[in-house]
Amino acid sequence: MWEIVLSLGRALIDGLILCGEITLVVAPLMLGYEMAKAYGVFERPWPGVAPVLRRLGLSPGALVPLLAGFFLGLLYGAGILVSVSREQALPARECLALAVFLATCHAVVEDTAIFMLLGGSAFWILGPRLLLAVGITAWLARRGRLPASR
Amino acid sequence: MKTDARDIPAGGVPPWREALGHSGRRTRAFVWFLLKNILPLYLATEILKQSGLLAWLSGFLAPIMGLWGLPGEAAAVLSAGLLVNLYAATAVAAPLGLSWQQVSVLGLILGIAHSLVVEAAVVRELTQRAWSITLLRLGLGLGAGWLLSLIII
Repeated sequence: MWEIVLSLGRALIDGLILCGEITLVVAPLMLGYEMAKAYGVFERPWPGVAPVLRRLGLSPGALVPLLAGFFLGLLYGAGILVSVSREQALPARECLALAVFLATCHAVVEDTAIFMLLGGSAFWILGPRLLLAVGITAWLARRGRLPASR
Repeated sequence: MKTDARDIPAGGVPPWREALGHSGRRTRAFVWFLLKNILPLYLATEILKQSGLLAWLSGFLAPIMGLWGLPGEAAAVLSAGLLVNLYAATAVAAPLGLSWQQVSVLGLILGIAHSLVVEAAVVRELTQRAWSITLLRLGLGLGAGWLLSLIII
């Protein structure tokens, strides 16, 4: 009986340590994002990015929602993602391209970091995700399989 | 003292100050979220482990999880990640003592496909094909994880 209580106590402490570790990883990310936003990094056009976006079937207007999802994740980035893509009046096919890309590849820093805490390899966790997202979105854009309506 | 004109907007508060405040509030909310998500699951995993239930269940699932080079217990990690979120998955995975290869495979599968229920709601705001995209994530995640397990495990 005593042993069970002890092991639960240890689990509680381990859980708290995990919470602390994740916070130490995520808090600087949040600060970095807020700083970048406060100084208007996302509002300025990024040089050289338009051709890359075009390959993915996206217009320059899709950059902010793409970055928001890529770095922040669908949930935390959702506010920016949805409101900006409406503001920019992105056509439906671009919204679908965005959704396909971001569904496979979002919140990349945070997701990778928390599995690295458990000992995972960043290269193998992030590399294939990035490759798949770029590959599938570019393939869809090239084949024109993203329908004009819907 | 010299100050950059850009540092002081009309409101009088410099942008970095505002950013600090914003991220402070977000971090505080995030810590609460973590405690509420991780501690109960960590305890539940420990209880499942101690009671022998986890070993019993994973006995059934071991052959399936073996396809990905994972132990049967990893099924609990996958369900937590797919249905709840990645923090839940880490809370379940941490006490299992998995190898870095196994953590990487789980990280890849769950990185691509996680929190499917909640995130489908966000995707629906972007496109009407939320269902297809959810299926795409599940398929891609399991497929990519399988390939990775062939390479590194």
